[in-house]
Amino acid sequence: MNLKLPSLTRRDFLAKSTLGAGLALAAPSILRAKEAGAPADDIRVGFIGCGKQHEVLFNAMVNIPGIRYVAACDIMKARVGRTASAIKSRFDYMPNRYLDAEEMLEKEELDAVFVATPDFWHAPHTIMALEAGCDVYCEKMMSNTIEGARSMVAAMDRTGKLCQIGHQRRSNPRYLYTLNELIRKEKLCGQIINVNGQWNRALSSSQDIVSKPSILPDAETLRKAGFNAGADHELTLEELRHRFLNWRFYTSLSGGPISDLGAHQIDIFNWYLGATPKSVMASGGRSYFKDREHFDNVMCIFDYDTPEGNARAFYQVLTTTSSGGGYYESFMGTEGTIDISEREAYTKIFKESGAENAKWDNLVRRGLLKKGAAGQAAGGADAIASYESAPPDEYALPGGLSKAPHQPHIENFLDTIRGKATLTCDARHALESEAPIYWVNPAANSNEIIHFTEEHLHT
Amino acid sequence: MASQKNSANDLGLTLGSLLLRIWLGMRAIQTGIEKFAGTHDSSKDVIIDGAPNAYGLTNTVTGKVYALDNYHGVPAPLYEKFSTEPLIPSWGLNLYDTVLGPALIILGFTVLLGIATRISLFAMGLLYTSLTFGLILIKQDAGIAWLGVHIIMVVIALGLAKYDRISVTKKW
Repeated sequence: MNLKLPSLTRRDFLAKSTLGAGLALAAPSILRAKEAGAPADDIRVGFIGCGKQHEVLFNAMVNIPGIRYVAACDIMKARVGRTASAIKSRFDYMPNRYLDAEEMLEKEELDAVFVATPDFWHAPHTIMALEAGCDVYCEKMMSNTIEGARSMVAAMDRTGKLCQIGHQRRSNPRYLYTLNELIRKEKLCGQIINVNGQWNRALSSSQDIVSKPSILPDAETLRKAGFNAGADHELTLEELRHRFLNWRFYTSLSGGPISDLGAHQIDIFNWYLGATPKSVMASGGRSYFKDREHFDNVMCIFDYDTPEGNARAFYQVLTTTSSGGGYYESFMGTEGTIDISEREAYTKIFKESGAENAKWDNLVRRGLLKKGAAGQAAGGADAIASYESAPPDEYALPGGLSKAPHQPHIENFLDTIRGKATLTCDARHALESEAPIYWVNPAANSNEIIHFTEEHLHT
Repeated sequence: MASQKNSANDLGLTLGSLLLRIWLGMRAIQTGIEKFAGTHDSSKDVIIDGAPNAYGLTNTVTGKVYALDNYHGVPAPLYEKFSTEPLIPSWGLNLYDTVLGPALIILGFTVLLGIATRISLFAMGLLYTSLTFGLILIKQDAGIAWLGVHIIMVVIALGLAKYDRISVTKKW
C-alpha cells in the first residue's frame, strides 16, 4: 500500500482546506473508509510527540497485531523522520509525517492517537484528539496543572471517547496479581500500616539533555509551541532549545521530578491502599542543581484512612543518588512486606517472623509464591539481643512479565477500543490518583501540611 | 648448515605469522557476527493451583540467537553518543553503522585465509583506527588502549607477512 507523504505546505493546506472540507462533507462515507491494504479491523494509529517516551511506547507496540501506523507528528523534523524510519523498517510502509498536530488530526482518519509530548502539551493535544473523534492514550502525568488534568476528564466525558492515561503499572500482570491475589485475597501483608516508595536516580542520569543544534527546531517554532511559557524575559534560541530538551526542569512546562518519576509510584500507593490520602507534608530543595526551577530532591508523606485503618506513605525522589535499591513501592504490613517494582530485580517479598508458617508454606505449595532465602541474623559482637527482631524470610512472585512493561497497558487500550475490555486507567481514575501529587510541590514550597478537601482532589 | 638454521627460524616466523592471522581473523569475524546477535525469550505460564494463572505471569528463559534482523553495527548506547558529536555527520554514522559488521567479517576472512594479506591487514588497521577515532571523541580511554593493542598486532602481522607460506594468494 502506498501512503503518500503530505506534499502540501501548511499555507497550501490552509488555503485549500475550505474546499477540501466542503468536499469531505459532501462525500459519501465510503470515501472515509480505511485505506486499501489495511485489514478492516486494524486500528489506525497516529502519534503526537516522537521523542524518547514515544520510542518506549512504539517499542512496546510493535509486537501487538492489528495496528496500522498511519501518521506521526512532532515539531522536530528529525524525530518524525526517525519514527517514520522505524515504522518503515519494521512494517515496510511509511506513515504520513507532520510537524503540526492539528493538521494531522484534520487530514488523517485515525482511530487512536498516542500523545507523548511534554507535560504542558498533554491536555491540549489530548483534548484536540478527543474532539477530532479519536480515542487517546496519553502519557502520564496527565498535565502540568490540575486544571489541565480536569479539562482532559471533561473532554473525555463530553466526547464519549476513550482516554487511557499511561500509568502502565495498572495493566501490568505482576502488579494486578500482587494486588488481587496476594494483598486482597490472601492478605499476605496482614494490615498494611506503612508504605514506602522511592525513585533514586544517579547524578549522571540527571544531567541536562543536549542535542545537535542543527536538528533542533528554530526559535519561532519553539515560541509557537509555547516553550517560552512562564519566562520573565525574551528567550534566546539557546534558552528555548534548552527548555525544549529539558522541559522537565521548568515549572511552567512540567511538575518536576515528583510528578515525572513519582506519579507512577504514588498512583500505586492509592490504587493498592484503595484510598486517597487525607493530607500531605513535603520537603524539597534545589540542593545540587541550583539553577533549576523545580526541586531536584523531594520527600513527602501522605496520610491515609484505609478500610483497614490509618496508614502512612513516604515517597522520595532523588536525582542525585542512585544507591538504595533503585525504584520500587514497598507495602509494609503486620505479617509481610511486598516490595514491588516494574523491575523484577527490585521486587521482593518478606515474611514477618511472627506470621503463620503454614499459611506461607501452603501458598508456596499452591504456586502462589516462590520461596527464597531464609532470614539470616546479622550476628556479630555489636548485636544486642533485646534490640533485634527476628530476620524475615524472603519470597518472590511466582513469575514475571514476558513483554515490554508498557505493552499490557497499550493492549488494554486497544482491546477496549475493540470492545473486548475496560480501560484500567481512564482519565477520571487517573486523576483521582494523580490529584494528590499536584499538591506535593505546593506543600514543600509552603512547608505546611495540606489537608485535602473536595476542592483539592475533585475530578 | 646455515640454510637449515634459517629454514628452522623461518618456520617459527611462518607459524607465528599464521597464528597472528588466525587470532586477528577470528577476532574480526566473531566481532562482526556478534553484531547480528540478539536474545530470544521463551516463556511458559506460571502454574497456580494446578492450572495456568489467569494474569499472564510467565517464567522466561532467555537464549542467544543470531539473525539479520538483530544487526546493529554500532551498539545503540554508542550510537546515541556519536549522534551528538559535531565531527560525526549523521549520514557518516549511518553508513558506518551499516558497513561495520560486514566489513569486520569480510576482512576477518581475508586475513584468516591469506587473501591479499598485506592489503587486508592494512584495511583492518584502518578500520580499527576509525573505531579509535570515535572512541577518542567520547573519551573511552580503555577502548582506545585496547584498539591500540590491535593496531600493534596488525603491524606485527604485516611485518611477518613475508614469511607467510599458508595463504590463498601470495601477492599484495
